Amino acid sequence: MPILQIKDVTKVYEGKVTHRALNQLSFDVEEGEFLAVMGPSGSGKTTLLNIISTIDEPTSGEIILDGMNPHTLKATELAYFRRRQLGFVFQDFNLLHMLTVEENIVLPLTLDQQPLEVMEERLASIVEKLDLTSFLHKRPNEISGGQAQRTAIGRALIHNPSLILADEPTGNLDSNSSRDVLELLTKINQDKRTTIVMVTHDPIAASYCDRVLFIKDGEFFNEIYKDDRRQMFFQRILNVLSLLGGGQVGDLSTIRLP
Amino acid sequence: MASFFSVAVFFIYSMLMFHPDIEQGILGEASLIGMVGAETVLVLFTLFFLYYSMSAFLEARSHEFAILLHLGMEKRQMNRLVFLETMIIGSGSIFVGIIFGFSFSKFFFMIVREILHLDSLPLYVSWQPFLLTIGVFTSAFVVISFISVYFTRERKLRDLLKGNDYLNSVSTYSKIRAVFGITLILSAYVLTFIVSNTSWIGLTLLIPFLATFGTYYFFSDSLPCFLDKARGKRKFHWQRYRLLSLAEQTHIMMDNVKMFFVVTMVSTMAFLSVGVLATMSSYTIQYDRLNPLGLVYKGDVDNPYERNHIASLRIQLEEKGLSYHLSRFVVIKQTSSFTHNEVEVFRESDMNVLLSSYSYPLLDLASGEAVFIPYSEDSLKRLKNKVVHTVLEENSIPITIDSVYPKIVFPGSIVSVNSIVISDEDFRKLRKPIADKNVVQPIYHLFTFYIPQWIETKEIGQDIEELKASQYFYKKDRFSPFYFENAGLNYSYILATYSLFTLVGVLVATVFLLAAGSFVYFKLHTSLEREKRKFDVLKRMGLTDTELKKLVNRHLFPQFFLPWGVAMMHSAFAFLMVQGILKDIANISIVKEVVFAFGFFVLIQVVYFYLIRWRYISHIRS
Repeated sequence: MPILQIKDVTKVYEGKVTHRALNQLSFDVEEGEFLAVMGPSGSGKTTLLNIISTIDEPTSGEIILDGMNPHTLKATELAYFRRRQLGFVFQDFNLLHMLTVEENIVLPLTLDQQPLEVMEERLASIVEKLDLTSFLHKRPNEISGGQAQRTAIGRALIHNPSLILADEPTGNLDSNSSRDVLELLTKINQDKRTTIVMVTHDPIAASYCDRVLFIKDGEFFNEIYKDDRRQMFFQRILNVLSLLGGGQVGDLSTIRLP
Repeated sequence: MASFFSVAVFFIYSMLMFHPDIEQGILGEASLIGMVGAETVLVLFTLFFLYYSMSAFLEARSHEFAILLHLGMEKRQMNRLVFLETMIIGSGSIFVGIIFGFSFSKFFFMIVREILHLDSLPLYVSWQPFLLTIGVFTSAFVVISFISVYFTRERKLRDLLKGNDYLNSVSTYSKIRAVFGITLILSAYVLTFIVSNTSWIGLTLLIPFLATFGTYYFFSDSLPCFLDKARGKRKFHWQRYRLLSLAEQTHIMMDNVKMFFVVTMVSTMAFLSVGVLATMSSYTIQYDRLNPLGLVYKGDVDNPYERNHIASLRIQLEEKGLSYHLSRFVVIKQTSSFTHNEVEVFRESDMNVLLSSYSYPLLDLASGEAVFIPYSEDSLKRLKNKVVHTVLEENSIPITIDSVYPKIVFPGSIVSVNSIVISDEDFRKLRKPIADKNVVQPIYHLFTFYIPQWIETKEIGQDIEELKASQYFYKKDRFSPFYFENAGLNYSYILATYSLFTLVGVLVATVFLLAAGSFVYFKLHTSLEREKRKFDVLKRMGLTDTELKKLVNRHLFPQFFLPWGVAMMHSAFAFLMVQGILKDIANISIVKEVVFAFGFFVLIQVVYFYLIRWRYISHIRS
């Protein structure tokens, strides 16, 4: 049973220059899957993420999330839907500066009016899992990038969402922090069977996933599944990327790939 | 926008200031000085305000400047750019302001004419106001653009490129100062009570200082301390938007202590000036009631001028074509056995002549009966149910004073505190004068002119007025044999002061109010980008539209109403004091006017709040 189905989604930005960001894109995400979406700049990755996160509406086509189409909901219901079903991790963390780390993490729960006991209990378990204890009472501008992203992941996880959307979560991090964050995401994916959709540029980041989906100019380009060895998987991702990047080569090679 | 408005206001006032009719008019020198003063205040304030708005504006555009610098623009070139931009904005607002001001000046003149009871105030064209406005504001803009460029903090290019995202405010408050601030404010309030009850005026000087420092510490330490305490309580803090709004408030407080302080002080000033206006207007309105008589002439029995003066007054009134009723009184002072104080005794038939000219109900007293004459509204209430049995000692006439005449007949300055009317038979028995030899004027004559058009009497009896003044001046040791009061003349003095205050007060209040509002607006404008990003994150997290509105409400509400609330408190206490003092001196109540003015302010502020809120929400949603 796929948790997320994308069916022929097309998004056209009307404006002075009409721009087709997504063109009849279709794919499914299984429950508990860790999916990476890759593609060159301007391929429509962020648009896709926005549509999945119900911030944006598709021009045509539909998405089914957990058995229903969120785009048919009313604005208020939609907000409730986002607040309970989705978790977000951003490239620039988007932590709120006036709140402490602790407050940032419990924010989704306070919005949902959970009782204090529940909040404290969840907070304790998350803090332990993500190892946030040392800077719990600091402000976001007093901690490092890796710590900030861990906080953001904590915020995305605290309400036990069914789907986590990550937009270049390692984009602003050094390699060590990146590895930490990716291992953390993998662990969460395996332990709690949380579905994660991650948009990324970074082939290393993509190599942590179960499956990598490539899109180009808003269309489905290719997908590859995880190998036994991450090294091999990484190599294959690089191969596809090299095809994706070059114009002429790409046209020839599509046929040759599995 | 605000600078344009202040240009317009300034222009209108300078139009009025240079108006040919005004210069020779009743306003005279004093009001001209007042207006110059008001304009100076206005210009100074505009300078300050422009500086603030410029720096906010530059702050908001720091990203743009960073790109320009990044492209290799010299610092000098950038300064020139800022200077040029300021000048373009400045000249634009001067131009539009003058056009706007000129087109509204006729309207303003009409209002002024109504207030001042002038015959006409025609529109005129003269180069002076134009030149003054352009000169003053051009120099203001030049100064501001230099200052704002000069004082722009040197920041690293990297920081500028990132935009004003940095939040480096760390909560630095001290509990001592927090307590100190509240104590100062409270002690200022207590002092106002003390002053209003004991009329110990010396303390008044201390109050503004206490209040000013208290307010500053209140914003810089007391409030953050309080908010921090609130954040410590999870049960209270971790609820819905409280988490967000409280944290936000703390942050806003930290960042904008100075702004809050300035806005509070400025609004207090505005409130006070409007309150003073209200007081003045209530005094003018009540003047009519307190002074029912047009002219009053009071003289000794052997006053040598009496015949001449009365005759000349009658002739002058007739020349002017004003109708009048002259009543003549003989008032005898006696000692009352009840209080052993002197009482002024009026005769019933004299009184009835005056009362009939007012067309008030007449008195009908039996022998031994008497009526109090009230000297103020208060005394009217106090004497209403008082019954006094007394004997006029010198002539041993027993009387019973059992009521008070229900209307104020004489102005307060004419009748003494103990004045009664007795019947004609009893009055005839008053042969012996008052026993106490030190009493001035044991018997005096009182002439009252009841004139329906009393406002137009101001030129009547000016010779007598002068004589009175000179008598008073040269013979200080002796009491003048007569006393003369002209309500019309007094009224014109009061009106002139009042209109001066109106002009100055309205000007100051408008500008202050506008500025106070604009400070908040600029602050919001600077942080708009950041706020937008914040709400974007929250929206992704699933913030509903209604929740967003509530959050915005909580975000804006304290910024708007906290300084205002504090300002209201301050001015309320200030008025309490003023009321206390006025009660002693002038016997007027300003409560109604002040409450009305405050209500009006609250209304304006609420409207403004909703306006800003509407703009803000639509900005954030876009």
